[in-house]
Amino acid sequence: MKHAAIAWCLVFLVAGCASQGQRGAEIEQRDLFDQSEAARRAEQQRQAEAEKQAQILREQEELKRQLEEQQRRQAEQQAAQGAQAPEGTAAGQRPDSPVIRPLSSGTVGEGQAGGDPWAQLKEPGSLLSQRSIYYDFDRYDIKEDYVPIVEAHAKFLVANPDMKVVIQGNCDDRGSREYNLALGQRRADSVKRAMVLLGVKPRQIETVSFGAEKPIAFGQDEESWAKNRRSDIVYLNEPS
Amino acid sequence: MGRNLSAAMKLLLVLLMLQAGATRAQLSIEIVGGGASQIPITVLPFGSEERFPERVSQIVSADLQRSGLFRLGSQGSVRPFPMEVSEVDYRYWQNEGSQTLVIGRVLERTDGKIDVRFRLLDVAKQSQLLGFSFVVSPNQLRVTAHRIADLIYEKLTGDAGVFATKICYVVKSGDLFELQVADADGYNPQVVHRYREPIISPQWSPDGNRIAYVSFEQQKPIVYVLNVYDGTRRVLASFEGSNSAPAWSPDGRRLAVTLTKDGVSQIYLINADGSGLFRLTYSQSIDTEPNFSPDGRHLLFTSDRAGGPQIYRMRVDGSGEPERMTFEGGYNVTPRHSPDGKSFVFIHRNAGRFNVAVQDIATRQVQLLTSGSFDQSPTFAPNGKMILYASEIKGRGILAAVSSDGRIKQRITAQAGDIREPAWGPLVNNRRKE
Repeated sequence: MKHAAIAWCLVFLVAGCASQGQRGAEIEQRDLFDQSEAARRAEQQRQAEAEKQAQILREQEELKRQLEEQQRRQAEQQAAQGAQAPEGTAAGQRPDSPVIRPLSSGTVGEGQAGGDPWAQLKEPGSLLSQRSIYYDFDRYDIKEDYVPIVEAHAKFLVANPDMKVVIQGNCDDRGSREYNLALGQRRADSVKRAMVLLGVKPRQIETVSFGAEKPIAFGQDEESWAKNRRSDIVYLNEPS
Repeated sequence: MGRNLSAAMKLLLVLLMLQAGATRAQLSIEIVGGGASQIPITVLPFGSEERFPERVSQIVSADLQRSGLFRLGSQGSVRPFPMEVSEVDYRYWQNEGSQTLVIGRVLERTDGKIDVRFRLLDVAKQSQLLGFSFVVSPNQLRVTAHRIADLIYEKLTGDAGVFATKICYVVKSGDLFELQVADADGYNPQVVHRYREPIISPQWSPDGNRIAYVSFEQQKPIVYVLNVYDGTRRVLASFEGSNSAPAWSPDGRRLAVTLTKDGVSQIYLINADGSGLFRLTYSQSIDTEPNFSPDGRHLLFTSDRAGGPQIYRMRVDGSGEPERMTFEGGYNVTPRHSPDGKSFVFIHRNAGRFNVAVQDIATRQVQLLTSGSFDQSPTFAPNGKMILYASEIKGRGILAAVSSDGRIKQRITAQAGDIREPAWGPLVNNRRKE
């Protein structure tokens, strides 16, 4: 609002100068028109910018909410498991759950300062070893289940500012190849945005879409499609 | 230019000129439905055609039959077959139930060229409807036969024939992706681009000499324009991010493309030589798959500005607000104008199936044309009568065609590989010498 007011003051100021200046009416008029047009455009741009900021803010809120929710549930889970089996992390039913918990409880950052980062990335069962985010059909929002993976990689990238990743967006091959190419870009961009919100430098992240063109599963069934609707986080120069 | 060239060499990109291409596995076309009322026609063998590698009358018959609009009559018992009007016993053919009769002959001239003559006769009126003579080289016999079928088709149906046109499509076999160009009947397929990275969205230039397409050979989508007759290729759009969805303006001077250089996928105009980039859409949503109206004034495109993808229409000069065109269902994509500009085809998702549908632009009436599960990429024949599209059988990509009224259906299969992304070439009056 304040910006808009200043902008309009500027317009009037310029207009005033022009009308008080020389008498070449036609030229002055054109000048005046250009100025107001420029102001109008600047205003439009500001509005678009504000909208974008608001959108980022909304997404930030949503991400924060998701993270808090995640931590709350982890705390609950830990409390519950703590009550049942104080030391027994191996008691988890899902094979990956015992390792996931300690890493996503917010201590990754401190823990990784000393070690070999490439080794950390590869630690079996760790969140960092998980490189894929999966989506529903025609969606690009990061589902709650995958927030911890994005968060872990974001923390890792913050701690290792020289590291770079390419996020590759993919889609299942139904519908339109071109729309899927655009959707894959959105998927990759949404991961990038989340990571940037978590403090990663934008220059550390590149995004690319392969659309539906590089499937990893080839069946015509939901199981295959679900595997193909994914963003992959690929570290540059990672030793294999 | 130099950079493009060396990059292409480095990648060992195989670009073959049409004339030099090796013979490839033919496509086979199978008719799965027929028109309600078919025009009866008798095509007799042309005199001395058996001395030449291509039998002209058989190609004409196959073209007419494949269109679904003709019923081919018996060749009767008169031998030798009449080749000239004076040899035709109209009463006999009337008794045979023929309404129209095609006769002709093929003669070798002393200069090595071939003289192909044909006549289309009205049996009841005992008069000639059409008669033409072509002097061609031996390697033009097939296209001449298609030209004859075009003339017969046009005379008897009132619509332009498309038998002498070309199609292009992408074949994936193993790790290799090929852009192929073939005659509209699937014969004579030639590889014009082969590489181990994907290719999508080929689009013919209005003059039929060039194909714009998207290749991932640089590990991201870039738009190229390939001249299929001299094999030269140039980058059309290689901006930061993704470059895709080329669409030619009807005058062939510029293209609409989808770029992500400014964030989310948006539509831009660019001159055919890659200069003069101009941003056309300003939205926070995906805008892609532009397609020019035949008068060059409007674009249809796909946008998810209302949530799911729907089809919109905007003015090419960017003025006014885009108008939403599709309202049935939550997923409507890939709009393509009909050649008369009155309707458009698109892919409509309904109960988990993806099908070709056609919508009238004025009345907004929608008709579903296909019933497959995963139909994609519809493309109109240049006479607007047939729509070629990508489909699949048992997980293998095939091409299929359906008449714009939904009655006639064809299935087109390659012997091997996945076939997809078809684009039907334009009607070209003065075809290049082949």
